[in-house]
Amino acid sequence: MTAVLAAVCIAILVIMALALTRAMKAPTVYDRILGVNMFGTKTVLFIAVVGYLMGRPEFLDIAIVYALINFIGMVAVLRYFEYTAPID
Amino acid sequence: MHLGLWVVVLSLFWLLLSGYMQPMLLSFGAISVLLVVLVIKRMANVDQELKQVDFRLSIFRYLPWLLKEIMSSSFHVTKLIWSSPKDLSPTLAKISLKNIPKEKRVLYANSITLTPGTLSLDINKHEITVHALEAASVDELNEGAMERKIAGLWPKKGEEK
Amino acid sequence: MLVLDIVSSILLMTGIFFGFSGAVGLFRFPDFFTRVHAASITDSIAVILIIAGLLLQTSFDLNTAKLMFILMFLMITSPTASHALAKSARHGGLLTLGESKQQQKQQKEQMQQQEAGQ
Repeated sequence: MTAVLAAVCIAILVIMALALTRAMKAPTVYDRILGVNMFGTKTVLFIAVVGYLMGRPEFLDIAIVYALINFIGMVAVLRYFEYTAPID
Repeated sequence: MHLGLWVVVLSLFWLLLSGYMQPMLLSFGAISVLLVVLVIKRMANVDQELKQVDFRLSIFRYLPWLLKEIMSSSFHVTKLIWSSPKDLSPTLAKISLKNIPKEKRVLYANSITLTPGTLSLDINKHEITVHALEAASVDELNEGAMERKIAGLWPKKGEEK
Repeated sequence: MLVLDIVSSILLMTGIFFGFSGAVGLFRFPDFFTRVHAASITDSIAVILIIAGLLLQTSFDLNTAKLMFILMFLMITSPTASHALAKSARHGGLLTLGESKQQQKQQKEQMQQQEAGQ
């Protein structure tokens, strides 16, 4: 089971890297925010899986906190960009 | 009534996060719940929003159905990603809201967004603007399976049998 | 116990597959609004499958409740976030694929008319 969990961790890291690449290199600012949002959701899952990989399920608390912060941060950034974002 | 509900919800949340049953920590929990409820009471005077929280068990009949929808449309979108993303036909459409009770519109819009392939862009009193990956998914929404499901599980007030 | 482990591995692996497809979709789809659809796969089904896989690893205690809470919270917030994103993109003036094609066509026609006028 440890091997499977480790593989899942690495796979989530790959997905996070892809999302981050999109966030750094994208045609519009909204694509970047989309990449960052996906990165955030994957981070929550990553923390949860790492908790089980290391046998320390207390990591779930950190995952919950990260999920809350991620959502608040997303909404804050979007409020800022709703009418001010340059498109190019 | 709705402050009492908040006390229950917040206490459950505290127990979920802490998990300790020592009297000192529980009293800390009670104090924080009390503080938050005081803030909510003050805030309730400021905004005039709809405050009813609907705790009918219908949600447990809706969720499995939604899960099935998410599954099938995810398979579909995944197939699109791996096959031919260049020949998509993205469409914008307006979906009427007249059959959905007022409190359930958020649920409806969120369910539309949650199923991959359709995305709710904008919502007003009468309709939702939906962006769909394919024209077929708009037809599916217009056919109204999801609409009937929600309207059937939560009938409008006054029409309840 | 072994059966549970196998089922949980299968769920986790399927979840990873969907997550990876969504990430690839972020690069392969042609415009912003279609890319939101790709990201919504990773937000919905991948999250459900991975958390379901982890749920089978717990021994039905407080951690199960916490995982359920994470799942519920993500299921409520992720469509809200995608909706907010799409709405602000729309208000910011981003066009969908069909609309931008139409605009290009109109511009082309105008250019041709101008050339014909000269």
